[in-house]
Parts: sequence; structure tokens; C-alpha cells
Amino acid sequence: MGRVVDVTLIILLPIFPPYPATPITQLPTIRLLHTVKLNLHNRLLMDSSPPSSSPSSSTSMDRVNFRTQVLSRHLHHHPQTTDLLLPAPCLNYSPPELSNPPPNFDTKSLRKLLDGTSVEEIDYIFNLMIQSTLFCPRERGGKVFIAPDFNQSMEQQREMTVKRIEYLRDRGVFEGWFDKKGPEGDLWRFALAESVSVYDHSLGIKLGVHFFLWGGAIRFMGTKRHHDKWYKPTETYEVKGCFAMTELGHGSNVRGIETITRYDASTGEFIINTPCESAQKYWIGGAGNHATHTVVFSQLEINGVNEGVHAFIAQIRDENGNICPNVRIADCGHKIGLNGVDNGRIWFDNLRIPRENLLNSVADVSPDGQYLTEIKDPDQRFAAFLAPLTSGRVTIAASSMNTTKIGLAIAIRYSLSRRAFSIKPNEPEVLLLDYPSHQRRLLPLLAKTYALSFASNYLKMIYVNRTPQTIKTVHVVSSALKAVLTWHCMRTLQECREACGGQGIKTENHVGHLKSEYDVQLTFEGDNNVLMQQISKALLAEFLAAKKRNKPIRGLGLEHLNKPAPIIPTQLTSSTLRTTQFQTDIFCLRERDLLQRFVAEVSQLQAQGESKEHIFTVTYQTAEDLGRAFSDRLILQTYLDVEATVPAGSLKSVLGLMRSMYTTIVMEEDASFLRYGYLSTNNAAVVRKEVLNLCSELRPHALSLVSSLGIPDAFLAPIAFNWVEANAWSSI
Amino acid sequence: MAPTNQVLIKESSNVRTIILNRTKQLNALSLEMISRLLEVFHAYEEDPNVKLIIMKGEGRAFCAGGDVAAVVNDINKGSWKLGANFFSKEFTLNYLMATYTKPQVSLLKGIVMGGGAGVSIHGRFRVVTDNTVFAMPETALGLFPDVGASYYLSRLPGFFGEYVGLTGARLDGAEMLACGLATHFVPLEKLSLLEDALCKANSGDPKIINSIINEFSNTNPKLKEKSQYFRLKTIDRCFSRRTVEQIISALVSYKKEKEADKNMDDWISWTIQSLKKASPTSLKISLRSIREGRLQGVGQCLIREYRMVCSVMQGEYSKDFFEGCRALLLDKDKNPKWNPSKLEFVSKDMVDRYFAALDDKDWEDLKLPARSNLPVYAISKL
Repeated sequence: MGRVVDVTLIILLPIFPPYPATPITQLPTIRLLHTVKLNLHNRLLMDSSPPSSSPSSSTSMDRVNFRTQVLSRHLHHHPQTTDLLLPAPCLNYSPPELSNPPPNFDTKSLRKLLDGTSVEEIDYIFNLMIQSTLFCPRERGGKVFIAPDFNQSMEQQREMTVKRIEYLRDRGVFEGWFDKKGPEGDLWRFALAESVSVYDHSLGIKLGVHFFLWGGAIRFMGTKRHHDKWYKPTETYEVKGCFAMTELGHGSNVRGIETITRYDASTGEFIINTPCESAQKYWIGGAGNHATHTVVFSQLEINGVNEGVHAFIAQIRDENGNICPNVRIADCGHKIGLNGVDNGRIWFDNLRIPRENLLNSVADVSPDGQYLTEIKDPDQRFAAFLAPLTSGRVTIAASSMNTTKIGLAIAIRYSLSRRAFSIKPNEPEVLLLDYPSHQRRLLPLLAKTYALSFASNYLKMIYVNRTPQTIKTVHVVSSALKAVLTWHCMRTLQECREACGGQGIKTENHVGHLKSEYDVQLTFEGDNNVLMQQISKALLAEFLAAKKRNKPIRGLGLEHLNKPAPIIPTQLTSSTLRTTQFQTDIFCLRERDLLQRFVAEVSQLQAQGESKEHIFTVTYQTAEDLGRAFSDRLILQTYLDVEATVPAGSLKSVLGLMRSMYTTIVMEEDASFLRYGYLSTNNAAVVRKEVLNLCSELRPHALSLVSSLGIPDAFLAPIAFNWVEANAWSSI
Repeated sequence: MAPTNQVLIKESSNVRTIILNRTKQLNALSLEMISRLLEVFHAYEEDPNVKLIIMKGEGRAFCAGGDVAAVVNDINKGSWKLGANFFSKEFTLNYLMATYTKPQVSLLKGIVMGGGAGVSIHGRFRVVTDNTVFAMPETALGLFPDVGASYYLSRLPGFFGEYVGLTGARLDGAEMLACGLATHFVPLEKLSLLEDALCKANSGDPKIINSIINEFSNTNPKLKEKSQYFRLKTIDRCFSRRTVEQIISALVSYKKEKEADKNMDDWISWTIQSLKKASPTSLKISLRSIREGRLQGVGQCLIREYRMVCSVMQGEYSKDFFEGCRALLLDKDKNPKWNPSKLEFVSKDMVDRYFAALDDKDWEDLKLPARSNLPVYAISKL
């Protein structure tokens, strides 16, 4: 038996050589893929009477019959020896695993770099979802896929989201949500939230609103009395929470909200009021149908003095789901995505709540109506108040990477089984991913996704290990990465949609549909453009503070500014482009130069007597370039840190290849390198050429890199597997 | 290798009937049998004169499993690597069957356990009958459900696979059909008629084979009144928990809830008992194996199981396999002394080691043969 195995291998090998730069001429034929057998020649010589179902043996067979035979053979995967002799009657599906070299690195180790210690928890949640009919398992092309039924009405989708959450709750998934402490507890909560989002964004958001926003507000903005009262019913969903911050008139500018709360010392109650239409709470996830309670963000007015934005707990529905008196709720209506979440609008008509419902971690009101706080500066108070809510951005960033992985896994697997156009007559058509142009579209995005995923892990780690001293870093890094990662997600999904052609349009194939499901992430928890400008402001402040103290700048990875500016070689070569030294140098140079430009621009305007606010509104171009430069340098740094943990070997080399792809593509795509002269036009041409080299070098690893992303098959789509059978007549 | 009489082959034009013939041992698979099966399966795949393979057992059992007693004996005499050779061949055979290009019809009369399931469930058609008894009893033996069980058990409805794999519960033919382990139920008296009809039809077309089996089938065999399949809801609720400890505590609290209901008690007590009797190490690695298997293809499952089985045989972290075989197969005192003795003594680190590559320079991962064909249906469809 060993012989048979060996010979099969020998036959396979010459047909599938390591990937050449121009693979087209060496493509195997489709027929060979299916019928390679050890005694190929013998059989061809000896098989004088092919099986009766062979089209060639029956000259009387009409065309219809012929097609029927072809189709039936196709469906039943009945290999026919005669396939070798005949011209192709029609296309057949061949799994990418057959035509691609086996991984030359350990895919499990690579996945571990992405999912770290959470692998088991993530896989457990995947198991739970795959095994329940509530998650709508569907068979397509011999595989089972799970995805929500988006053909259901908005109301039905919302009910399904709730049922799925109840299913998870009944399995004890959320047990210990508030008890698990320390970094491990945080990482566990993140893993849980991210893995449900892999199934459906609505499910992730519905859960995130309840646990991270409502639960997080209770935890971080509240004190013991709130913890004692609300933790348990929140964990069991006896209480369904939501988070009423955004208003019709105010989103990113939280401090501008108009809801107003006053205190009535005679009854010991707060009175919450919506004074005008623009103060109605808007987009409140969970408020539309299900939430019983909410955290309300409101201006607090004590003795005629506005003490700024504070948060209160208010009940909005009774246990039977009826809306409470003095509360009005309306639906936000059908949305472009996330219809499994019941976003609603809330008006408060002088709603009275007990004094104890003020979330009093930074400020309190005494029974007789005195405002008490340790932090006198309202700016600082507000910052301290909101700081813990950064967890929202951490999960958004991480979830956007999972979505990106789904899109890429589907598009790349499809491009490894779908062919289009022959180069020469009578030659098989070419696999999509063997076109350099197709490689250029997808492979840089794949490398970038790895880079950004490592950065997302870094963000998670600095969040879970946060201290009062690192709050600023967490804020800046989370702003930067939330913006960069979610933008990357949307861009990748669009590219994947196009790369799948018409198939990308079908909802069941995910890539197109995910765009509308995830578009909102560019906006919620901070508009991306606003976030990018905030980074530059923070960098400017750091720079000026260090200068003022006349000390070296520290933190945020800016230490390189204390050293002399790096020198970029005048003539770049392919090998220079791949050195970590050069990559680090040029990313640091860009950040340094843009920061200096930004500082100069701002101080010049200051000298002209312009106000700070005005200055920031007119310097946005440089600010955004700088925000990008900071993010890219940070991402490269986290990538190098991950690479350093991997022992020399094949995994490390493929990581190196992806790092070079990441840095090179950034240089090619971001106009600032040419605009400010970090690259000469000659060098920009070298960079552009190197992208192509890197694409063809990554091509043989494409399938293994996609497999290492760790998204189980059930969460991908029919076009990622046997799309011929999935669309066959018999499957209707 | 000289042909063995432990595997008989009947030829009838384009049909080959493979008969497991080691009746005294209930057709338990010896290395000799596995080698022979590998040989014929490889040969038949290449042979255009073979269209259909029928698998059955001589005597009252289909196959009671791999001959682990012999494996343990070999290991005790020589090195655990002799055992590794056995499992490497057995798993390769399982893979070949799971990815086979020609239909295999297994006639599952009597006992189908462990390795016996491995040489049948991966095939396209699994025909059960009135006296079929299926089980994956490995956790009671200090082993874990192998032969690709982490692939097929994990694909049973809900968390039935965890239940079957951890408790070693016995299923009858009707239950196997209901959960998808079997594709057809044919009454005992019609089984040989079915075999004749298949030989006569002489076809390799799955559609034709399917309709022939259907002619003899009872499409809706009644589940017995107390069938565990009626407990699916409870099974889902308890066996979906994160850890073995949580599964047991879910079962225990369910039992308390239902204390009054007499019907329920037998089954729930039995379930809890069987988990308490099994090797703690086995339970933990089995649960993780099934959960990982659910997200993997059959090849990856077998490669992982091979790592696990080699770790088990190497005995570095636990010698439960040897103790289990001693207590159940050799001394038959049915009183194994597990070590670690309790679930709480089996740490996550210890479990992790069974899933890692072995720290042995001569050892390597299972190398499955490259398959020229990976049709969807060839991967057993449950």
C-alpha cells in the first residue's frame, strides 16, 4: 500500500511545482486534477472499453442526453477514466487544497499569534453556534453554513437576535461576566464578544450594548451600590440594559448634549427631561423593543449651575415590556444593516428617578442637593468619567479584523477555484489568483490584515493592563486603531466583493452584505475622521510638553524623535526595501517630519493670534496625514514585536514577507511619501515594482495564510467551497 | 504480505464484499486486518472493475473495535512506537474511506464499536438493523474516541456527539438512524436479500444504490420508549457546557430538579455514573478533541487524533490507557485506578500536551496520503 501512496505523490508533484512567478504556462488541466491515478498510462492503453456512461462510447446520444450525463457525473463526482481523453464538457470544481502546496509553516502557530490565549474560548463559542438550529444552518454544496436569515423582516431578525442571546445565556456562557477580574477577565470578555460577531454583527452589537455599554457603565461609572444591585440581573438578562448617550442633535460632541436633569431635594429624586426635539436620544441599541433599563447621559443642573454631563440609571419598560410613564419611545426604523438590533429613540418627560441612580464614581449629589466631587476641573472630570468606556473601541477594532478575515477567506478561496479566460486557445482558463492583477488586489490586503490584527492585539493588551498612567496612551492608540482598522475592513470588503464578481452580490456569500452590516463601525464610538484629528492633537500636546520641560519625549512610541533623523538611501533596491531598518526608518521619518510640519503650522497660526479651536479646524490636512503616519509606525512596531517572539524558521520567513508587503504597500498607496519627498519618484517606482514581486512570493502561501485566520468553514460562504455543486439544479 | 483469512473477499462482477472474519474476537481489528484492508482499498480505487464495496462482519458482530489488547501487549513487550504503527495504519485507512471515490456500503449487524465504527461510519452508506449496537467506549478504557470520531461525533445533532463520546452510551439501530450515524435501517431478515440485490444491480452509482437500499428499508423504525434520543434537549443543555466539570454539574442539578420524575432518574443517574467511572484525563481530552474536530476537516481530525493517541501510548502524562486495558480487557476486575484520579487534578496544561507535537526526535505527525480527489460527498455526510 505504501507504494500506491508514494506514486500518487510523485504524480502530483511535477504537476504542482512550487509557484513560479509566471504560473500560467504550468497550470494543470482541470481534468488531471480529478483523475490523476498511478497507473495512468497503463489504463489509457488498456482501457479499450470505457464505461458505458462515457459520452464518447455512445454516438447516438443526442446533445441533451450528453449534457445530462455530464451533469450527473458532475454531481455524483464519479470519476471517469475517459475524462483524460475528452475535451472538457464543462467546468468542475476543484478544491484549492488539491492545487496548492501544503502549508510550509505551522498554521496553528500562526493562528495562535492572532488569537493568543483566547483560541479555546473562541472555538467554544463557535461550537455552540454551529450546533444550534437557532443559528440557521444551511447545506450548500455538501457543507453546512450558518448565517442569519436576512430575508426575514426587521422584527423577525430582532426576535432571532434575542433568542440567540437567550440560547447562549442558557448554556451558561455569560456566567461570571462581572466576577472575572484582571487582564484575564477582560480578555475572556473580548473573546466572547468577538466570536459572536463572527456570526452576525447584530448579535455582537446587541450583546455589546447590554454587557459592555450598560454593564460597563454600571461597573466603571457606578459604585458598590450599583454593582450590588445590577450585576446579577444584568448577567441573567432579567434586566436588559441600553445606553442612551447620542442625541439627534449631538453625537461625537457628547458634551453638547441637551438632555437636562435637575434634583428635587424634597423627594430625593432626579428629574430627567428632554427639552427639545434635538435632545431626543437617538440610535439607542436595544431601546426599540427590548431594553428595560438605560443609562441616560444628561447635563446635570444643581442649584441653577450646570455641572456638565453625568450618567443616570432609568427604567424605561416594566417587566412585561410596557413602556414606563413619562417615557416615550419610537423606533429608528429599517437600516442599511444591523436590522437585528432594535435601535430606538427616547424622550423623557420629567421622568423621576431615585437619587441613588446617579452613577457616582466621579461626582455625587447629597440628599440635600449639594454637588460633591473630587475632580474640580470639569474637563478632567469628563475625561476620567468616560475613560473606561474605551473597551467599546477595542472590541470594534477587533471585530472589524474578524470581518476582514471572513471577507478575505471567502474571496481568496474563491479566487483559488474560479477561472477566467485562457491565455492560449485550447488551454484551460486561468485561476483568478494566478493573474498578477488579482494578486495585487487581494494579497496586500491579506498581509495588511495580519499586521492590523497584531496591532489590535496590542491595543487589547494595553487596555487590559491599563493603569492611570497609561490612560492617555490607551485613548490615543484606541482612537487611531479603531479608525484605521475599520476603514481597512470596509475597503477590504469592497475589494473582496468585486473580486468575487457577481457572486459577491449574493447575500449568502457574505462579502457584499457584510459591507452594509459593518459600515456603521466607521461612525459609532467616535467618527473616524474626528478620531484621526484627535491623535494629532495628542501628539502635538506631547511634543510641546516635552519641549517645555526641556526633556526627551517619551511614550506613544515617539522616543525616536529624540534621535537624529534617519537617512534614507538615495537609490532604493528590492533588498533594502525588505530590511526592518529601512522600513522603520522611513516610517519614523514620515511621522517625525509630519509632526514637525504640524507643530510649525500650528505655531505660525498661533503667532497670528488665531484661536486654538480655529487652528485645528484649518490644519486638518496635515493632522490627518500625521494621524496616518503615527498609526502606520505603531502598527509596524507591534508587528516587529510579534515577529521577535517567533523562532527562526518557515513561519518567521512568511511573517517577514508579509511585513515587507505591509510596509511597501503603505509606501505605494499613501501619497504623503511622494508629497513630502520621503520617496523620490525613482524610489517610488522601485517600491511599486516591489509590490509585484511580493505578490508573487506570497501567492504560494495564500491558501495557508487564509486557513491560519482561524475562521471555521461554517462561517464562510458557499463560494469559498464547492460553488458548482452549491448551485447545481439538484440543490434547488 | 500473504493474504490473511482474517479478512475475506467475495467477488461478484463489479462488487467486492469485504468480510471481517475474526469471529472469536468479535472481529476486532488486528494489525494484519488493517494492513489487508488498506491494501485492498488502495487496489480497488485503481481497479476499474470495482464499482462498489460492501463491508460486513462474519458471525454476530460487525466489529468490536481495534484490537487494543494486542496493542498494549506489543507496547509492553517493545516500545509504544509499535502501537503508533498500528494507529497510523488504522487512521490512514479511516482517511482513505472518508475520501473514497467509490461507494462503500457497510452492513452493520451486531456490535459496531470504536475501530469498527471507524471502518464504517466514514463510508457513504451505513445500514443498521434490529440488533445493531453502536458505542465509542474509549473513555472507560483510558483512551478517547479516535478513528476520526472527533469528526463524525461532532457533526451529530446538537451536543449528542459529546454525550456519545464522553459516556460511551450504546445506541441501537433506530437511534443511529435518527442521529445520522446510519443512513438506512434494514430489518435483520432482509439484510442478506439487500446484499444479493446490490450484487445483482452491479452498480457504482450512489443514486441507484440508494434506491436499492431504500427498497429494503424501514424508513421510520420506532425509537424504543426509553430511548436516550428523546433526551436530546437535556443532552444539549448539559453537554454544551464549557468543561467536563460543568457538564457533570449541569447533569447533577438537572437530576435534582427532576427528582420526582421516576422515568428520568435511571437515565440521568446512568449518565452521571458513566462520567464518574471514566478516566478523568480521557474525558477532558475527549471533550476538547470533539470540540476541535467540529471546526476541522476529517484529515485534520485524524492528524490531531494521532498526536493524541501517541501521547496516550507514550504515557508521559498519564498511564490510564494501560490501566484501563488491564482492568477491562486483561484482568477484567473492572476496577481501574485512574491517575490523575479526579477531574480537578487534570490541568489545562496537561490537556494541552496531548494536542501538541510529541517531544521525540523519531516521532512525526501522521502523513496522510495525498488524495487525487476530494469530492464533497466522499467526506462522510451525516
